[in-house]
Amino acid sequence: MSLEQLDKLVENGEQQESEALAQKMLDEGVDPVQILTTLTATMERVGDQFAKLEIFLPEVMLAGETLQAVVEIVRPKLASDNQMVLKGKVVLGVVKGDLHEIGKNIVKLMLETSGFEVRDLGYDVDSLDFIKAAEEMAADFIGASSLMTTTMPRQQEIIEFLKDKGLRDKYKVVIGGAPCTKGWADKIGADLYCEDANSASKMMAALIEK
Amino acid sequence: MTTAYRLWEIIARSKTGPHMEEDDFLPKLFTPTLKKLIKKYEIQYDSATPVPADDAMADRIWQAGWELFRKVGVYNTDSHRIINVSDDEIKEALYIAKDRYWVGAGKDAVLWKHRQVEDSEPPFCILSPDITVDEHLHHSMCAAYLKEPLLNGFCAPILEDSIGQLIESGGPTEINGCVQHIYNMRLAAKQLGRPGTFFVAVGTAEHDSGQIAVSDNDWGVRTTDSRLVGSLTEFKTADTLLNRSVHYAQYGCFTGNLTGPIYGGWCGGSEGVAVTLVAYSIKGLLIHGAIYNQHFPFHLNWGSNTTRELLWPIAMAGQAMARNSKLLYTSNGFANAGPMTEMLFYETACHALVSTVCGWHLWEMASTRNKYRNRATPLEARLGVEVGHAVANMGMSREQANETALKLLAKYEDQAADAPIGKEYQECYDVAKALPIPEHYDMYRRVKDDIAAMGVEFPF
Repeated sequence: MSLEQLDKLVENGEQQESEALAQKMLDEGVDPVQILTTLTATMERVGDQFAKLEIFLPEVMLAGETLQAVVEIVRPKLASDNQMVLKGKVVLGVVKGDLHEIGKNIVKLMLETSGFEVRDLGYDVDSLDFIKAAEEMAADFIGASSLMTTTMPRQQEIIEFLKDKGLRDKYKVVIGGAPCTKGWADKIGADLYCEDANSASKMMAALIEK
Repeated sequence: MTTAYRLWEIIARSKTGPHMEEDDFLPKLFTPTLKKLIKKYEIQYDSATPVPADDAMADRIWQAGWELFRKVGVYNTDSHRIINVSDDEIKEALYIAKDRYWVGAGKDAVLWKHRQVEDSEPPFCILSPDITVDEHLHHSMCAAYLKEPLLNGFCAPILEDSIGQLIESGGPTEINGCVQHIYNMRLAAKQLGRPGTFFVAVGTAEHDSGQIAVSDNDWGVRTTDSRLVGSLTEFKTADTLLNRSVHYAQYGCFTGNLTGPIYGGWCGGSEGVAVTLVAYSIKGLLIHGAIYNQHFPFHLNWGSNTTRELLWPIAMAGQAMARNSKLLYTSNGFANAGPMTEMLFYETACHALVSTVCGWHLWEMASTRNKYRNRATPLEARLGVEVGHAVANMGMSREQANETALKLLAKYEDQAADAPIGKEYQECYDVAKALPIPEHYDMYRRVKDDIAAMGVEFPF
């Protein structure tokens, strides 16, 4: 049994086999940090393959779910000083009036598998609910997706509500979605525009480190 | 509405169909079923042949699409239940579906008929920029499209502002924008002497209330026009969409089923997109009573459908539906490049050529990945529908289409990821006259001559 085998099983989304192998490796004394380091590289590779569409959404979703299942097994074995580093907390959703969610779901997966804690509010989310959820979870980011030009103003509305409540500097507002652009993000005063799901986790991690 | 008498039986299944968690529908039902059917029916993508001439595989794709829809159904995200139909209901709906409709009004009415593979009958051509446009350019752009001689139907650009206010979906500004949208269309059509032109309208309405607000046989969307009803992510619907189906049926206009299977998404690759296109067409007929299907399969990363991994499913799904049904369906081009680039002209030509030879009608042309405001013009659509007419008149075979498509792909495929975004409408057209500027027209003419040299015999 090896880390290479676990890497392959997670990549292929073989959840039960991955869980069993991870448990066996822990029982045999394999360092849990080593397992997590390996699987972080696995997901980076899967993410890169998906970015080039060498693999498709169902495969990357399966791999992500498998990784999360293995992390749940490994987490209790980590020494307190070796707990996974949380990169940030994110409230994520699709804005009010918009029922499209495929992009948001991909972003969620990419964030979760790269060390972010995500609270998924779903789609058709009222602007105030983004803020309430961010307050509740002490989030670092509010991520608002819009897939239609006529729902993009709701991204601006979130920022305006934050200003009205005196909370604008408390959260980094990240926007995305097919019709959105860097120009729109700049116009409404968003902190970050992410063009695709794969870049979101890297750009958000970089932003919080600033 | 071909299945009007079953309208309420179908709607009722939103409340009585099997329950499923929404998060489970796509990963646990849709995608696994699709994968099994691709294997069962031995459907295989071949990147070397964007236009296959494989009747047997086309028929297998039809069977797989039928089975996919029957096994998966449609998930209603409001009721959290699945609307299912039976094989007998599919057979019945396909049997009673008409193969032709008169659309539009008066002297501008046009007969829209089912096409066959390699049909010599030209495609029905709906012209549409698909993008959003500045308020002050909207009427000019409507006029510019309505000046196109081969236009059979028109779908106008989408407004983002109305009377200087941002339009918000579901709110009062959307109703205002929808009224402005259809008035601009009507005015332009009247001014240009085509008052009865078949409209697909109004794209500014993202919400059902916006659509319902403009149903009026005097000034608004007429019963001789069409409206679209879309889907959420693969095979999901919601009450706001079903509201449209019911309203369109009761108002009496022509319903179109709008679908965009995503290459790289829950459909997987090219094979999955082809099967899903067929399944969506049957869904449109049974769930929405659509008289036609408006398909825009697209690449997950690029938002386009002019590269070979998308041309293949367009080619195969078109053949599948042409050979096995009487349905009407339009192929909606999505290009990578923007206006006044040679790349956009070549992309449009290739999309139109492949679609026409494989039995589709045309809906041309979303440019610049349908992402940037004002970045579309009628001139790329003109070239697309001229190619469609040319290859139909020639009776071009699939083998010839494949050969020509490969030549056209060689002109742009390596630039797909980093395509030029070109220029905006007002930089390519004289806005007051709604005509292309000489530089733009010259580029169109140059590319058209090049395509003619590839063997496409344009009628003019």
